[in-house]
This record gives sequence, C-alpha cells and structure tokens, in this order.
Amino acid sequence: MRERISALMDGELEGRAADEAIESLRGEGEALESWRMYHLISDGMRDTRLLSAGFAARVVQRLAAEPTVLAPGRLPGRTPAQRVAYAVAASAAAIGLVSWLAFGPQPEVPRTTIAQGPPAPAAMAPVQVQLTSAANDYLLAHQGFSPRVSLQGMVPYVRTVAERPGESNK
Amino acid sequence: MNVRRVAAALSIPLAFVAGAAIAQSPETLSWLRKIQDATRNLSYSGTFVYQQGNKNETSRITRLAPADIERLEVLDGLPRELVRTRDTVRCYLPEAKVVKVEKRTADRSFPALLPDQLNALAQHYDIALGETQRIGGFTCQGVMLTPKDSLRYGYRLYADHKTGMLVRAVTVDAAGNQIEQFTFTQLSLGHVTPEMVRSRHAGANFRVEDAQAKPARLDGWTLASELPGFHKIVELTRRLGESNPVGQVVYSDGLAAVSVFIEPLPGKSEPQRPGLASMGAIHVYTRQVANHRVTVVGEAPATSVQLIGNAVEYRRPQKN
Repeated sequence: MRERISALMDGELEGRAADEAIESLRGEGEALESWRMYHLISDGMRDTRLLSAGFAARVVQRLAAEPTVLAPGRLPGRTPAQRVAYAVAASAAAIGLVSWLAFGPQPEVPRTTIAQGPPAPAAMAPVQVQLTSAANDYLLAHQGFSPRVSLQGMVPYVRTVAERPGESNK
Repeated sequence: MNVRRVAAALSIPLAFVAGAAIAQSPETLSWLRKIQDATRNLSYSGTFVYQQGNKNETSRITRLAPADIERLEVLDGLPRELVRTRDTVRCYLPEAKVVKVEKRTADRSFPALLPDQLNALAQHYDIALGETQRIGGFTCQGVMLTPKDSLRYGYRLYADHKTGMLVRAVTVDAAGNQIEQFTFTQLSLGHVTPEMVRSRHAGANFRVEDAQAKPARLDGWTLASELPGFHKIVELTRRLGESNPVGQVVYSDGLAAVSVFIEPLPGKSEPQRPGLASMGAIHVYTRQVANHRVTVVGEAPATSVQLIGNAVEYRRPQKN
C-alpha cells in the first residue's frame, strides 16, 4: 500500500489504480498515515514551511464555502476521482501557499462593502493593499522596459518613486 | 481560472466593434513616429504635473539630445532625482544617501517603436487623430489610442503641432475615465547646457546599489497561457535593492508593458492571500508559486495584471 500511495503522490497512478488509492485514504488507516508521512518527508526535503495545526480541516471548511471549483480546463481524459483530487490539491495550494507581500507589513485598506458581503472566494480574491516605498525597486526595474519611454522619455519614471503613505497629500 | 476563456469572453464583443473601424491612416501612424522622433531628438526643459486620483506631483525634466542625457527631478514629497544616459539609469535618493544604478544592456535595443511595431499596435488599438487643443502655450494635435478589448488602457496623446513634442498624455479606462495624466505646465525647447542635466548629487558619497541586470533564461517558469497581444520581450536576472538575484520577464503589446518578478522565498513566512495594489495606471499583484514570490507590475488594468499573475507556473525542467 505504501508504494501505491507514493506512486499516487508522484502522479504515476492512472484510472482505477488511482481511484483505489484515493479511496484507501478515507478513514484513519495505514494509507493515510503513509500519505502524511511522505508529505512530511517531501516537505522536509524541499524545506517547505510546516502548516499550522488543523490546516487540512480549515481547507475542507473553506472549500465547502467556496462557490467556484478551481477545476483546470485543460486536463482531458482524467477520471472524476483524479479531477477531484487535482481540484482539491489546487485549491489547497492556492489557499495555503499564497504569500503577500512584496512590500512588508502594512494595514489592509478598509473595504467595508466586502466585509459586509458574503465571503469572497478565498483562493483567488486578492487583498487590496497600499503601495509603499518598498515597491519602488520593482517600479524602477519595470519602467525602463515600457515602450512608453520612447514616446515620453523619462516622464513615466516619476511613478517609480511615489510618496510614502503618511506623507502629505496635496 | 482559464485565462484564454476569460480573455476571449472579454474581447469578443469588442472585436465586432473593432472590425467595423476604419484602418489606421498613414497620417495617424506618422504622428506617433513624429512624437517618438521629438522625444529622442529634441533638447528641452520643463515642469510637468503627474496626476492620479486626488494626487498631483510636480517634477522637472531636462533633456540634452546630442549627449542623450536626461534628468528628472521630483519636486514634491521625498527628494529624488533620476539621470538617464546612453548606458545607465541612476536614481538618487539623497535622504537615504543611496544611488540605484541600472545598466541599460538589456533594454537599450528597444523600446523604440519601429515601423513594424507601430503597425502591430494597430492590432490592439484603434489609432485616430483627435481634436486640436491649446496646452501651456502650445497648439497640440490629439492622437487617440483606443484599445480593442478591455485588457489594456486607452491613451490620449497631445503633441505640439510644430515639433511633435508630447505635452500631455492621459491614460483612460474602457469607459473613457481618466486614470492618470502627465501634463507640462511649462516647457521650453532648446537652450539646454550640459550643466542642466548633471545630477546635483553627482560626486556625493552615496551607497551604490547596482541592479546587475543581465539577460538570462529562467528555466521552468512559464505562463500557462499568454494574455492576448502581450508577448514576452525580455527575460533577465537582476537585483532589487540589495536582494539576491531575482528573475524578471517582461511582456508587452507594443505600448503597455507588464513585468513578472520571480524571487525565491526563504521559506518561513506566514502564508497570506494574494495582494493587489494600485497607483494610477500601474497595478501590482503578488502571489506565491512553487515556494517563490511572484510579483506582477504593469501599466494595464488590474484584471490583466491578475490574469498574467495567475497564469505564472513552474514546471520542473526536463533533464536530458
């Protein structure tokens, strides 16, 4: 069974073999134990940060509230079980791995309309944030490659060095 | 999200409109060339206002065409100054006593809009002559670039009728609302001396941050699908500030450009949702992909920047 779980993780199982392997993950059995162990090992090897306690449960909970299924449209010929496994994995990855922020700790811009509305799809809806001067390195790096420079010279470069939040707005 | 499907949905209704439009006249394209030639060949000095949202920021720009040196000084807020020569862009930050240096090895071959590229612009924008306006004492010809889909912004350019010097540039969204604007409030052509393009901080003992930009191949990193009209124009490694080398891939439709920055993560940061920030026509979107931070910076609508960001993927390179 352990070999099968390992093969499943590597994406080497197809069709019924994959279905059976996924089925064997139901319940707290040896298969599930192997699944967790192999992921722990693989995380350790890749130096991935450990997920917090109860992470899987929270993912399941948020998936249940998720209106959109992140099913990839370009994977023909997969079994339904694989498709579900893929979608679950993709959603988990989107929720678990996304990491803001290029621009350091900063307050979230108040968005009351969103706060009062139904929960947004957690995986995709980005947090609205303010640019800080930490973004300037990115803007400066980008600006030189903009074709606008050939029409305007350096004028658009003023956007690379915007004011820091908190400075006076005129 | 299927980028191609979304993009198709966005562009199909507009494609009909575009199909009905008249082909770009040679006169219109020649105006774009005239603006480009003026930007390169004229010496000038002037004061302009950058306006976005409720912010106005005043800057002074001076160009000495024979030496190909341009100096930009931001007059409001934090003092900062940029000087561009044939070989480098230097950004002086006097308060931090830092000068950021960018060698122009990678971008020097472009972004001049060659005749072919001008024609390619017409694939994504309807280009037409607009009304004549008087701005800052100059009689200006309007040149309107209207996007054929909602993946890019529109531009209203106003250039001096006589010389082609761009006096005002307005970026507008699909509904025609102004997103940002650059306008010269004072401009004089000619009479530029070498002293006028010399940095006031040249020779000061600033800490140098060299971006060390050089063309490179970022193995394994691709877009699941490109955004219609946006093609990869350059791929390089560079430093951001004092960072370790990061990857940068630039996509452009000939007028708008979007950069994708790829940085390895140390691994112990708290997981957070993707983030989106905006300043005028520029949007910045960040998400995490394969233990890397992907930051997309572009002068395109937020949707486009997000679509490109969400299409970034890493595939382990096949070993031969």
